[in-house]
Amino acid sequence: MLRRIAARGTAPQRDAALETLATDQTMRLVRATHELLEARSQRGLLSGPTAAKQRTVYDAQNTETLPGLSVRAEGAPPLADAEANEAYDGLGATFDFFAGVYDRNSIDDEGLHLDATVHYGRRYDNAFWNGQQMVFGDGDGDLFNRFTVSLDVIAHELTHGVTGDEAGLVYLGQAGALNESISDVFGSLVKQYARGEAADKADWLIGAGLFTSTVNGVALRSLKAPGTAYDDPVLGRDPQPAAMSGYVKTSTDNGGVHTNSGIPNHAFYLAAIALGGHAWEKAGRVWYETLRDKRLKPTATFAQFARYTVANAAHFFGKVERQAVAGAWSAVGVKTG
Amino acid sequence: MRIDFRMDGGIAAFPGLAKPVSIDCEALPPADTARLRTLVQRAGIFSKSHGKKSAPPAPDARAYTIAVDDGGQCRTLTVTEPITDDALRDLIAELRAHADALRGRR
Repeated sequence: MLRRIAARGTAPQRDAALETLATDQTMRLVRATHELLEARSQRGLLSGPTAAKQRTVYDAQNTETLPGLSVRAEGAPPLADAEANEAYDGLGATFDFFAGVYDRNSIDDEGLHLDATVHYGRRYDNAFWNGQQMVFGDGDGDLFNRFTVSLDVIAHELTHGVTGDEAGLVYLGQAGALNESISDVFGSLVKQYARGEAADKADWLIGAGLFTSTVNGVALRSLKAPGTAYDDPVLGRDPQPAAMSGYVKTSTDNGGVHTNSGIPNHAFYLAAIALGGHAWEKAGRVWYETLRDKRLKPTATFAQFARYTVANAAHFFGKVERQAVAGAWSAVGVKTG
Repeated sequence: MRIDFRMDGGIAAFPGLAKPVSIDCEALPPADTARLRTLVQRAGIFSKSHGKKSAPPAPDARAYTIAVDDGGQCRTLTVTEPITDDALRDLIAELRAHADALRGRR
């Protein structure tokens, strides 16, 4: 209609119509450009100077001195050492996930260098985040393989850094279990993203491949079925509860942070399945925004964290998403309102 | 000498590995008893002041609780990873080996 006025209307009418058309074109161009940029960033193509990986892998050469000898710096080619390469690739995949999905520039969102030490200790059967870097053992070859073998374990450790930078959840009690859960959630999402898996196709396991064949178990933990990951004569049975009715009151493990994490883990799994598609898009986004939520205290309880996920689901998405998240928490026995 | 030993934390909470054990040193073969005594002495369990570090626990790091009862004296300390003291590390490795044996691990 505007074009008809522009073509056949009076001079003032023409001017007005032309002005409207010009503005409209401009807005459409702005919208189109914005959508194009968003699409590019979602595909991980937006990697300008503000989001560049800086990885260094060190070799402790079976000592417990950190960081050890630098063996692979950013951009260097693969080594003969499988552990070093796995750490390098895992650091990269975790960085790419946070940058590509949430536009986060490394652990601190300010391009923090990513450091990992491999071959820590002798037959060392653990991995941990020391506050500044990741540390991986070779495993004992009896119960455990090398700890770099699982991408989700690498991402789990790095995510402790993200949590430390954001909510700073205290590593004790329910806040500690939330801290642990967030590492399992994003550990799993990094793996799912790397594989391009939908939520209902993912295995939702943490540390699959870590056990040797002598162990009766599939993984360290399962978000899909807490308590079923292993049942072994030496390791014991997976102690994780899937709901508040199974909450373990203990003074060990900083109040059971690796045990009770099963509850928020399972809530995330249920939310992701209910929302469908790729788990990092909606459920992951809600959890990520809650981790960054200024209202979330370092001493947060499950209930407090849950309430914020529900609020953020409504805020960032809508009613349907809000219901899915609330329903997930309800199913594990955590009240959100 | 009796040593109560517990391993805590780590990347996963394995109930089988986290069970505390009580090692009656005198009930061991003499060579093992002597070795443990040496390691306890080298680690300075009774002689050194292992200052209580109130640093926050590093995520997924393990903590070892060692309680030594040597007749006249008793001492308990908790050591968290990363372990910087070589003598403590050697003692803990030995205690873990004994704990594995006591739990019937091959």
